[in-house]
Amino acid sequence: MCLTALAARALAHEARPAYLEVKETAPGRYDVLWRTPVLSGMRLPVLLQMPASAKNVKEPTVQQLTDSLLERRSVDAGPNGLAGQRIEFPGLQLTITDVLVRVELRDGRKWTTIVRPSQPWIEIAAPPGRLAVVGTYVVHGIRHIAFGADHLLFVLGLLLIVKDRWTLVKTITAFTVAHSITLAIATFGWAEAPILPLNAAIALSIFFLGPEIVRSWRGETSFTIEHPWVVAFAFGLIHGFGFASALTSAGLPKADLPLALLGFNVGVEIGQVAFVLFVLLLERSFRILEVRWPRWAAALPGYAVGTLGAFWFIQRTAILFGWIPA
Amino acid sequence: MDPGMKAPRRAWPASLPLFLWSAAALAHTRGGEGAGFVAGLAHPISGLDHVLAMIAVGLWGAQLGPPAVWLLPVTFPMVMAFGGTLGLVGVKIPGIEVGIALSAIGLGAAVLFEARPKLGIAAVLVGFFAIFHGHAHGTELPAGANGLLYSIGFVIATGLLHATGIGIGLVHRWPAGRTALRCAGAAVALAGMAFLWKALT
Amino acid sequence: MLPPFLLHLMNTGLGPFYDGLAHLFVTPEDLLPVLALSLYSGLRGPRFGRAALFALPAAWLLGTIAGRLFHPHPAWPILSAVLTILLGALVAADRPLPLPAVASLAAALGLWNGAWNGIELARARAGLFGNAVGIACAAFAVVAIFAALAASVRAQGARIAVRVAGSWIAAAALFMLGWSLRRG
Repeated sequence: MCLTALAARALAHEARPAYLEVKETAPGRYDVLWRTPVLSGMRLPVLLQMPASAKNVKEPTVQQLTDSLLERRSVDAGPNGLAGQRIEFPGLQLTITDVLVRVELRDGRKWTTIVRPSQPWIEIAAPPGRLAVVGTYVVHGIRHIAFGADHLLFVLGLLLIVKDRWTLVKTITAFTVAHSITLAIATFGWAEAPILPLNAAIALSIFFLGPEIVRSWRGETSFTIEHPWVVAFAFGLIHGFGFASALTSAGLPKADLPLALLGFNVGVEIGQVAFVLFVLLLERSFRILEVRWPRWAAALPGYAVGTLGAFWFIQRTAILFGWIPA
Repeated sequence: MDPGMKAPRRAWPASLPLFLWSAAALAHTRGGEGAGFVAGLAHPISGLDHVLAMIAVGLWGAQLGPPAVWLLPVTFPMVMAFGGTLGLVGVKIPGIEVGIALSAIGLGAAVLFEARPKLGIAAVLVGFFAIFHGHAHGTELPAGANGLLYSIGFVIATGLLHATGIGIGLVHRWPAGRTALRCAGAAVALAGMAFLWKALT
Repeated sequence: MLPPFLLHLMNTGLGPFYDGLAHLFVTPEDLLPVLALSLYSGLRGPRFGRAALFALPAAWLLGTIAGRLFHPHPAWPILSAVLTILLGALVAADRPLPLPAVASLAAALGLWNGAWNGIELARARAGLFGNAVGIACAAFAVVAIFAALAASVRAQGARIAVRVAGSWIAAAALFMLGWSLRRG
C-alpha cells in the first residue's frame, strides 16, 4: 500500500514546463517574459541566459505568482538582433522539465517550440512554419496523455467495463467529443474551471469507475454498465478542462491559438487511441496464448483503477481544502 | 472484454518486416549513429550489380514456384550475412568482383533458360553467390555509424529486392509474361557480362 | 573491452521507469533477440509462447539487478549476438524444440542481456529499480504481442513471412557478430 501511494504520487505529479516568450518590439529590442513553475514552494532550478550581446535596457522585474515566478526583461541586442544567437537554459539538463519557447519577431515571423533537457538551448534562426507549430503541439498532446496517468486510468476503467466493440467505439468517441468541447471552450477563454476542484473531480471520475468494474465482474448491471458512453461523455467534459489547464499552463500563443489547440487535441487523440489499441492488442495476445491469470492478477487492473482513483480523490480533496500542501 | 472482440488476423503477420523497419527507424532518432540504418538501406540499391542479381534471384524463384520461391528469401539473407561476416573477420575471398559479375551472368542465364535443377543444387548455387554479395557489400560501413543498424537496413533492402523480383515474377502465369521474364533474364546476363568486362580490365 | 552495444541508456526525461520502457525499443541489439524468441515460441504454439512470456521478463529482471549490483567483469560479448543468430535461425528453420529447451533459451537470453543492461546502469549510476522494471515490462509486452502474432498464423504465406523475418534477424545478427569480431 505504501508502495502504491508512492507510485501514485510520482505518477500524479505533472511536469509543468517553463515558458519563455521573446518578442521583438523595435529593431534589435526585445521584451522577454520568463516564467518558471514553483512546485511545493521550490522554484525550478533553471536559469535563463541570454546571449552576451543582449544588454538589459532596464532592471529585470520579478513577480511572484501562486504557482510560478514571472520575470520580465527588456533587452537590446544591437543592430543584428538575436538572429543566429543562442539562448541557454543552464540547469535544465538536470531536470525533467521542458521549456516552451515562443518567439515573435518584427518581420512577422513567430514560432513556438519546446526545449528539452537533452539540448538545453535554443537558437533564434530560420523559423519553422505553421506546420511546425502544429507539430510541436501534437507532440505536446501525445506526451501529456502518455504520461498523464489519470486520463489513461480513466480510459482503462472504461475499457474494463465495456463489453463489445460497438459499445467501445461509442464510449471512446463520446469521451473524445466531450473533452474536445470543453478543451476548446476553456482554451478560448469562454469558461474555465478552477484547478484544484477540477483535479479532485477528475480523480472522482476514476474512483467512480472502480465499483462499476466490480459490479460488471459479478455480472450485475447498472446504468454505467448499460450506457458507458453517457458516463464517458459526462466525465469527458471534466477531463477536457484538465487538458485545457495543461495546455494553457504550457503558455499559449494568442495568434496561433486555433492551430495550437488543434495540434494539442490531435496529439491527445493519437495518444489515447494508441493506448486503447495497445490494451486491446495485449488482451487479444493473452487470449491467443491462452494465458489463464489467477484471480488476483485478473482483478489487478480493476483494483488499480479503484484504488488509485480513491487515493487521488482523497489527496486532491485534502489539497483543495488546504489540509495538506499542494 | 469478451471473445466477441476479434481483430482481423490475416493481414498483420505480413506487417512484421515493416515493424522491424519502424523499430530501426525509431532507433534512428538517436542521432548520428542512426544514419547507419539509412546508409545500410541505401547501399544495396546503389550498386546495379547487386540490384540485378537480387531481382534475378526473385525472378528465378518465381519461375521455379514453391517451395523454391520461399526457400530462397529465407536462406539467402543468412548465407549473405555469413559471407559478410567472413569479410569482416578478415577472410579473403579472391576475385570478389568477378564472382559478383559471374553471379549476375549465372542467375540471368538460369532465368533465360528457365533452368530447373534440383532444389538443393539451386540453393547451393544461389548461396554461393550470396557469399560474394555479402562479402563485397555488407562490410562497407560508413564511419561512426552503428553496425547493427546498418546491417538491418542492408538486410531489409536486400529482402525487398527479392520481393520485387518475386512480384515481377508473378507474370510467369501468362505465356507473354514467361517470354518477358526470359528477356529480363537475358538482360541481367548481358549486364553481368558488362560487369565481368569491367572487373577483368 | 566493452562491446559496441552498451550505449543505449535512454533519457526520456520522465524518470527511470519510462527510460527503461523506452530502452528496449531503441536498442536493436536487445530488441532483435526478444523478437526472434517471441516469434519462435509463438510458432511452436500457445504453451511455448506462455513459457517465453513469463520466463524472459523474469530472467531479464533478475539479470539486470544482478548486473547492477555485482557488475561482473564483462566476458564473451559475442554471446548476445550468437544467441540472436541462434534464435533467428530457429524461426527461419521452423523446427520444433522441446519446451524446456525453449524456456531455457528465454531464461538465458533474459539473464545475459539483462546483466549487460545492469552493468550499463551501474556505469551510468542510473537508478536500478525503475529501469529494471521498465525494461522487463517492455519485454513482457513485446513477447506477448509477437508470440501471439506468430501463434495466430494460419495461412502458409503468413507463416513464411514470419520465417523470413527470422531469417532477417539472424542475418543482421550475423553481421553484428562480424562487426564485434572485427573491432575486438
